[in-house]
Amino acid sequence: MKYVPVLFGLAIFLILPVVVDSYFLTILISIFYYAYLSSCWNILGGYAGQLSLGHAAFFGIGAYTSSLLFMKWQITPWLGMWVGALLATVFALFMGSLSFRFGLRGFYFVLITWAFAELLRLITLSLDVLGGPTGIYISVHTSPWQFQFSGRGPYYYIILGLTIFILIISHKLEASKPGFYFKAIRENELAAEGSGVATARYKLLALALSAFLTALGGTFYAQYLKYIDPETTLGVSLSIEIMIRALVGGSGTPFGPLIGSFILTPLSELSRTYFTKGGLEGLPLIIYGAVLIFIVLFLPQGVATWMKEKIAGYKNR
Amino acid sequence: MTSLLLQAIASGFLMGGVYGLMATGLTLIFGVMKVVNLAHGEMMMLGMAISYWLFTLAGIDPYLSIPVSIFLLFLLGFFIQRFLINPILHASEHMQILVTLGVSLILANSALLLWGPNIRSVTTSYSLETLWIGEIVLDLPRVVAFLFALFFTFLLYLLLKKTELGKAIRASADNPEAALLVGIEVNRIYPISFGIGAACVGASGSLIIPFYDLTPHVGPPFTMVAFTIIILGGMGSLSGALIGGLLVGVAESVGAILLSSSLKSVASTTLLVLVLLFKPRGLFGK
Amino acid sequence: MSLLEVHRLTKSFGGLKAVADVDLWVDKGEIVGVIGPNGAGKTTLFSLISGYLTPDEGEISFKGLSLMGRTPHEICQLGLARTFQIVQPFPNLTTFENVLIGAFNRTRGVPEARLRASEILKSIGLFEKRGFLAKTLTISDRKRLEMARALATQPDLLLLDEVLAGLNPTEVEWMIQFIRKIREQGITILIIEHVLKAVMSLSDRIVVLHHGEKIADGSPEMVSRDKRVIEAYLGEVL
Ligand SMILES: Nc1ncnc2c1ncn2[C@@H]1O[C@H](COP(=O)(O)OP(=O)(O)O)[C@@H](O)[C@H]1O
Ligand SMILES: [Mg+2]
Repeated sequence: MKYVPVLFGLAIFLILPVVVDSYFLTILISIFYYAYLSSCWNILGGYAGQLSLGHAAFFGIGAYTSSLLFMKWQITPWLGMWVGALLATVFALFMGSLSFRFGLRGFYFVLITWAFAELLRLITLSLDVLGGPTGIYISVHTSPWQFQFSGRGPYYYIILGLTIFILIISHKLEASKPGFYFKAIRENELAAEGSGVATARYKLLALALSAFLTALGGTFYAQYLKYIDPETTLGVSLSIEIMIRALVGGSGTPFGPLIGSFILTPLSELSRTYFTKGGLEGLPLIIYGAVLIFIVLFLPQGVATWMKEKIAGYKNR
Repeated sequence: MTSLLLQAIASGFLMGGVYGLMATGLTLIFGVMKVVNLAHGEMMMLGMAISYWLFTLAGIDPYLSIPVSIFLLFLLGFFIQRFLINPILHASEHMQILVTLGVSLILANSALLLWGPNIRSVTTSYSLETLWIGEIVLDLPRVVAFLFALFFTFLLYLLLKKTELGKAIRASADNPEAALLVGIEVNRIYPISFGIGAACVGASGSLIIPFYDLTPHVGPPFTMVAFTIIILGGMGSLSGALIGGLLVGVAESVGAILLSSSLKSVASTTLLVLVLLFKPRGLFGK
Repeated sequence: MSLLEVHRLTKSFGGLKAVADVDLWVDKGEIVGVIGPNGAGKTTLFSLISGYLTPDEGEISFKGLSLMGRTPHEICQLGLARTFQIVQPFPNLTTFENVLIGAFNRTRGVPEARLRASEILKSIGLFEKRGFLAKTLTISDRKRLEMARALATQPDLLLLDEVLAGLNPTEVEWMIQFIRKIREQGITILIIEHVLKAVMSLSDRIVVLHHGEKIADGSPEMVSRDKRVIEAYLGEVL
C-alpha cells in the first residue's frame, strides 16, 4: 500500500518523455540532475552534518577525468566515469583526512572545502593539458557505447535512473547503522564518540560516498552537454546550486533534495531563459539568495519537513 | 631578483594595510556576536562601486566619497543584522552561514543586474603617479590607501577604547549576559557593531578603487583573504587583524611573483588552506 | 588485577592542577563513589579515564589493557561508558534513536540493536516517550536518557557524573534503586555525586578528591569520620 503513490509517480515519470516537448524534457532532465547531485551532497551535508561548499570539486574531477580519457585515449565514458569517481574519492579522502585530523568542523570545514575546490579550479584554469580556460569540447560519436545518444530521451532515463538509485541509497541509509551514526555525528559529536561511534572514520565514509556519487554526475553532465570548462564544472556557484536544493527541500531527509530541485530548478531554468535574454542576468541568483534567506528564517527544517508536519496535522484533526 | 622581491614586499605591505582594515570589520562582527559574514567580500565590492559611480557620474574624487561609503555600508550592515541576523543569532552556525551566503548572492548579482559584468576602473589624475624610495617604486594611490587604512583602523581603535559606545561594544563581546546586567542594551549594540564592521570594509573598497578593477564578482576572493587574515590573527582580535592583514598582503604579493601573477589567487587560497590546517586558532593562539 | 586501575594520574590546565597524582582502582561488581567540593577535579578525572582528555602523566588500564592513547569510542567499545554532567543528547533525534545509537556499540545488526534499545527504554521508564525528540524532554528525562544511552552500549564499567543532580526526592530515590539494579546485572559503577547522603548509602567505597588530590579512600563510615574530608567540606553543607 505504502508504495502505491511511489509507483504511480514513477509510472508518470517513465511515460513523460513520450508526451512532452523537448524544452520541457530539458527542464525535467535538469530537475533530476540537480536532485541527484543534491542528494549526493545530502549524505555528507544533510545526514552527517558536514556542510560542504566544495562539491564542485568532486563533480569536476568526474567530468574532467572521463572527458580527458575519452578525448585523449578514446576510453569510453562508461568506463571513465568509474575512474573519475575513484579519483574524486581519493581527493575527498585526502582533503577529509587532513581537515578532520586537524579537527576542522562547522564553519572551518565550509571554508576548507571551498578553498580546496577553488584551488582545483585555479589549477585547471592554468593548465593547458586540462584545456585551460576554454575547457574541453567532447567530439560527437553518437553511439550508446560512447555514452552518447541522439535526442534527449536516453539522457532523461539515465538521470532518472541515477536519481532513483540515490533515493534508494538514502532510504536504506535512514534505517542503517551508518545512517544513524552519521546523524549522531551531526547532532553531537562529543556524545557520538562516547556512544562508541568512530566519528573520524564515519565522517570520512560519508565524504567518500558523497564524492564518489557526485563524480558520476559530473560524467553525465559532460556527456550530456559535450562541453566542460573550469567555471561551470568547478566553480563555487555549482557548489552553491548543489547545496541549496537540499537545504530548501530539507537536508537530512531522503526526499528533501528532490523536492528542493522541483522548486528551484524550474525557477532557475525559466528565469535563465527569460531574464538572461532581457539582459537580467543576475536575477536568478538574486532570487536564490532571497529564497535561501527566507527558508532559514521561516522554514529552517526545509520544505519536506514542513510538508510532513502539515500532513500529520491534517491527519490528527 | 632581490629588487623585484623587495618591490613585491613593499606593495604587498601597502595592500596589507587595506586588508587589515577590511579584516578588522570582519573580526569585529565575529568578535561581538560570533557571526561569520560570508558577504564580506561583496560589501567590499559595494564600497568600490559607490566610489566608482560617484566618480563616474558626478566626478567626485574617490577619496572624497569615502564618507558616503562608510555611511551607506553602515546602514546596510545595521539593517542586515537587525532583520536577518538577529532572529537567528542563537540558532546553529549553519544558519548564519546560509543567511550571509544568501546576502552575498543578492549583493553580487544585484550589481550584475544593475551594471553588467564589465570590468570597470577609475582613472584619476594621480592614478599613475609613483614614489621612489631607493630602488623601490610605489604607486601613489597604494601609499595613500595604506595611510588612510591605518588612520581608520586607529580611529576604530579609539572608538572602541575611549568612547561609551566602544565600551558597550567591548562589554557585549566579552560577556553578553554581564553586559545586560549592567544595563547595556546588547540588542542595540549588535546592529551598530555589524554596521561598523560593514563600514570598515566599505571604506576599504573606496580606498582601493583608484587602483583595483571593479566587477560584480570581485567579492569572493576578498572574503577568502579576510577569513585567512582573521583566522591567522585570531578570530575576534583587532590587533591580530591588522598584523594578519600585513602578513597576508606580503605573502600574497610575494607568492604572485614566484608563481606568475595569473596565479595570485592560488597563493592566497593555498595560504587559507595552510592556515586552516596548521594555525586554525591563529598565530598567537595555542 | 582490578577492573580499572589508575596510577599517578595528573592533568593541569595552565597553572592549575585539576587532577594531581591520583591513584584509583575499581574492582568488578563494586559501586565506588567519587565525592569532593566543586572544582575538585572529579569531572576531569572522568574525562581522562574515558579518553576525552589526555593525561600529562600517569597510567590508566581497564581489564588489564592500557587506555593511554585510545580515543573515546575505542574505550567505549572496550566496555567503558560514561554519562556527562551536562547532558549531551542528540537533540533532533527521538528518544528511541538516541538510545539506538548507543545500542549499536556491541551488537550486530539493526534488529538486535532495536530490541536492546526498547528493553533499556522500558527498564528506565522512557518507553512511552520513545517518539519524542530529545530536545523536548524535561531535564529529569534527559538525565535518564543520558543514562539509557550509556547503558545501551553494554558497558562493563559505567561512569556516572552527577546523575542525581536536579532531580526531586522521589526521582532521586527511584534512580538510586535503578543504579542498584544495574549493578545486580553485573555492571560495575563509578559514580560522582554531590548529594552526599545518596552516595553514602549507595557506594561500597568512597574516594574523596580535593584540589585535584585524593585525600581519602575507604568505606562510607570511615570517610565521613576522616578529619581532612570534614575540613575540605567545611563551608559546604554536609
Ligand atoms: N577544559 C578546561 N580548561 C581549563 N580549566 C578546566 C577545564 N576543565 C576543568 N577545568 C578546571 O579544573 C578544575 C576541576 O574541574 P572539574 O573537574 O570540572 O571539577 P568537578 O567536576 O570536581 O566540579 C576546575 O577548577 C575547573 O575550572
Ligand atoms: Mg563536575
